[in-house]
Amino acid sequence: MSVFTRLLRREDPHSLAAPYALDALDPAERRRFGKHLAGCGRCTAEVRELSEDAVRLAWSTAAPAPAALRERVLAAVRTTPQEPAPAGRPRTAQLPPHVWGVQPPPARARRAGPRPLFVPFATVTAAAALVIASLFAVQTHRTEGRLAAERARARDIAHVLAAPDARATAGTDGHGRALAVVASPSEGRAVVTLSGYGSPSRGRVHQLWLTRPGAGPRSLGLLSGDTPLAVKGLEKSAVSLAVTVEPNGGSAHPTGQPVVQLTLKSVGFGE
Amino acid sequence: MRMRGVTGTAGCGHGRGEGAEVLLVRVAGGDHQAFEELYGLISGPVFGLVRRVVRDPAQSEEVVQEVLLELWRSAARFDPARGSALSWILTLAHRRAVDRVRSARAAGEREQREALRAGEPAFDHVTEEVEAGLEREWVRRCLRRLTDLQRQSVTLAYYDGYTYREVAERLSLPLGTVKTRMRDGLNRLRGCLGGAA
Repeated sequence: MSVFTRLLRREDPHSLAAPYALDALDPAERRRFGKHLAGCGRCTAEVRELSEDAVRLAWSTAAPAPAALRERVLAAVRTTPQEPAPAGRPRTAQLPPHVWGVQPPPARARRAGPRPLFVPFATVTAAAALVIASLFAVQTHRTEGRLAAERARARDIAHVLAAPDARATAGTDGHGRALAVVASPSEGRAVVTLSGYGSPSRGRVHQLWLTRPGAGPRSLGLLSGDTPLAVKGLEKSAVSLAVTVEPNGGSAHPTGQPVVQLTLKSVGFGE
Repeated sequence: MRMRGVTGTAGCGHGRGEGAEVLLVRVAGGDHQAFEELYGLISGPVFGLVRRVVRDPAQSEEVVQEVLLELWRSAARFDPARGSALSWILTLAHRRAVDRVRSARAAGEREQREALRAGEPAFDHVTEEVEAGLEREWVRRCLRRLTDLQRQSVTLAYYDGYTYREVAERLSLPLGTVKTRMRDGLNRLRGCLGGAA
């Protein structure tokens, strides 16, 4: 997969341990070094040590948080669902069922792929939780002016979630970044959420593509932060979703390698 | 003497105790009470750190709120094998703060920020609102024991959110030198602060 192909180049990656521990890498370097770390025991140990040092610097800045912040955070937490434990790590016995608010989609166990670069979530519910969690996050930041557009989008999203054949899947990379989708093949619709990738550098955007057999990638639109994107008109033969970084406004065809790609087979496409 | 463990107040508690790990596991299980306790333990360090990096009070509060919500949502992702809970939380907070300050800078607030701090060494900008904890004094003292270039490399990156490339540019140093100064600076800091504690 293309995510694997952009590996480290030019400089000795070990020398980036200290800048990494200090968060002094730009996002692309951070990603590359993160991948390098996954396969380098020596670097992992060094980064852990250096990160603990960096955290000592954090402690010396402690200051009391405003009282009003506490109420805001606790109130927000009361309406925010949680993500389940990542794939590959056993959950502790203390974890009770997750708060859904709506009835969860049917749990369908899937085998975890090779860690740690890019693995599917252990369960479909985990992927759906990711999408739904981001919906809540969006709602807390919503402004009045965007209400009408939000309502239209919420209707589109509800439409997908209500479809009898709606299923969810997600890919995550072990660094908290994920591409999650809830899709209905019968409706040809999906809700797609990109999370943890932040915003590309200035003048660039994340663009979502649909790959199909025998044709070039088709643009499904631009992704803004981790706001869910509702898409329609997905053909049954669709193979995967891919996200690339493009100049502002998006491109007619992808101009670079995908930063993340997710197959749609497990949600009923590709037949 | 250093204060340890869960202290309901923000500030001087070094708090590298068992408390945060246990609380985080309970939080991962959806325990609101545990989240409130965790809030008491970490809101001060998280807020202080974010404000130190982001500077703008309103934006700092936004980032802190985002961090704490993310903590609630993704508590299950905490992996004790990879470090302490507090380290994980502060690393998350620092990353979000750095992301914010970089986009704010890109959006043109750079000049304003730099005017605020012209000519002063970064480590002297520690806020004065909390009684000086022992930890803070130690860190300051230890920062002063670094060479100028080590200290500037570390603090421009960690407290001011510059990438090592930007640090190299500001200090007119080759990239390799900055990377080395950062590593040596952190190592010397560890020696002075007394290991990983």
